Amino acid sequence: MATAILQVAATGGTPEPQAGYSALFRPGYVHRDLYVDETLFRQEMADLFGRTWLYVGHESEVPEPNDFVTRRLGRRPVIFTRTRSGEVAVLVNRCPHRGALVCRAKSGNAGLFTCGYHAWSFSNDGRCVGIPMSGAYGEAFSRDAHNLMRPAKVDAYRGFVFAAMTDDVPDLITHLAGARAMLDQWIDRDEGRAVIVRNGDMQFRTHANWKTVYDNAGDGYHPPFSHISMLKVFAARYGDIDMQYYKGDFDDAPLLSKDLGNGHTMLDQRPSMHSESAWKRQHPHPSREVLEAQLVRQFGETRALEMLDASTGSGMNLNIFPNLLIIGNQIQVVEPVSVRETIVHWFSTTLEGVPDAINTIRMRMQEDFPSFGEVDDTAQFEACQDGLENVPEMEWVNIGRHMQTQRGYQDADGLWREPISSDLHLRSYYAAWLRIMEQGRRARSGAA
Amino acid sequence: MTGDALAALDLDPAEGGYLDLGWYDRIAQIVGAWRSLGEVPLARLPDADTQAAIQRLLCYEARLLDQERLVEWLSLFTQDCAYWIPTDVENRDPAKTVAWEFNDRRRLEERVERLGTGRAYSQAPATRITHLVTNVEMLTGGADRVHVLCNFLIQTNLAGRVSQRSGWNGYLLRQEAAGWRIVIKRVNLFDADLPQDNNSFTL
Repeated sequence: MATAILQVAATGGTPEPQAGYSALFRPGYVHRDLYVDETLFRQEMADLFGRTWLYVGHESEVPEPNDFVTRRLGRRPVIFTRTRSGEVAVLVNRCPHRGALVCRAKSGNAGLFTCGYHAWSFSNDGRCVGIPMSGAYGEAFSRDAHNLMRPAKVDAYRGFVFAAMTDDVPDLITHLAGARAMLDQWIDRDEGRAVIVRNGDMQFRTHANWKTVYDNAGDGYHPPFSHISMLKVFAARYGDIDMQYYKGDFDDAPLLSKDLGNGHTMLDQRPSMHSESAWKRQHPHPSREVLEAQLVRQFGETRALEMLDASTGSGMNLNIFPNLLIIGNQIQVVEPVSVRETIVHWFSTTLEGVPDAINTIRMRMQEDFPSFGEVDDTAQFEACQDGLENVPEMEWVNIGRHMQTQRGYQDADGLWREPISSDLHLRSYYAAWLRIMEQGRRARSGAA
Repeated sequence: MTGDALAALDLDPAEGGYLDLGWYDRIAQIVGAWRSLGEVPLARLPDADTQAAIQRLLCYEARLLDQERLVEWLSLFTQDCAYWIPTDVENRDPAKTVAWEFNDRRRLEERVERLGTGRAYSQAPATRITHLVTNVEMLTGGADRVHVLCNFLIQTNLAGRVSQRSGWNGYLLRQEAAGWRIVIKRVNLFDADLPQDNNSFTL
């Protein structure tokens, strides 16, 4: 089980501080340095984001040959592109000459990237194809040794493209572990129609450590409290809808938190949200009634409702460690900026081959949570950062929900599950964090 | 600007249906006309009384926002309104592109209600704001309709952290019994496609 490291600590009393990162953990707690220490942040960017698979983008973002978008994998700048021959490629956006960003545009279509500094140019498979006055480097100079760097591994799973900066990672399917089946379920919602990721995105800047975002993505404890303003307004207007199932002791509701392995986790609200019709549970959004009526006229009530249910929020928070969060119908990517600043990209999705009305409904629904809910989450992240940074006397952060209650068990799919409000997700991803970071530390000390 | 593009300024988007796919198309046409506008044609300059009335409305709206008088602010919008903050700095189709906010009348009311609960943590404490409205251009649309393009600068302070928002607003206004009212307000942040801080106050 992925939580083994932290669970063992739970039964073994307070461990002596050891060399390395394990001193940052004690049973049910993690140390504040994880959120506030600048050295640790630099080590995370080098090792954690350098030694595991990271989500880059979705193949549909670069549909045509030579299409590209620029991204960050952690802090590393990359170009995510489709080559002239139609292959998806990831290029490290750093000139092999002096280090400048070669491509400075957000997106576009280009077969060739030319550095603005000294005009070294590169084809979009990374090959160096031009160096002005290259004779000055001498006869032994090899242009081929000055291609754009490419990540050690790039692979895709059903349109989701991942890259790793080191070869020392398992294959992507092994890495995804239990998250693979959940991703399948997310993709296959409307008869497996292709997901399209080029209908706009929101970039939220939060003045908090990136892990406050990751902590929250698997936190099934906060919704009725952090989001009370939204829930109150919609309950007053529309009654028992949306997330009103978060009431009383909602650990007794059919909601769950799941450990998918390798730090990946999921909050599953489907047993409550999709038990009948998710569309009918959903509060209204602009265009809801008029477009629903149009779809019913065109396709009949049964098929219209099928399509609408399949495009209502998925009821899943699927967290693929360390930078991909799939929530509802959106794909979120976590981009750490500094120890206390993070950009969260929210990519909207549409479906190929559905009526226009369905995709318009998807747009209006995907605007819903960001401005009615995410804004409140962001306020909590920033409040946490302030407290964590400025009270050094209080070193520990509690992650102990449901560690002692014996309410976890192995689900029918073989995966470990706990009640929705559990901190299982934190214990799971920190176990993966510790494993990867220790690999990096050992590699560094071995090299020294 | 071609005559065809100018013709979009004579549209009233809800004439023909509110919130259906045709409505989105009409809105996109209007925005297209705003974006490709050359010098305001003399024939489309509103008369002096109308210009004064609209200047009065713009300043009043800014004052209500700055004072967080959002229920009164809502009364400046028509029943078939749209208040829209795109995520792009182009003119992508609103029916096919996610926005920071795309509010119809009901959604706008819900937003004001959320901020009014006292439990909207993104605005606890509330962001202090001061709106400056400048570079105002006006041109007539269809009967009793006026378009306004203007720039804005919003000075903000959230719990001691000072920052600014800026960009341009496009308005379609309609003269109703109660006076000039807002049919469309499109808030065009100049950096809408780049990371945004907490914008959960009202732009």
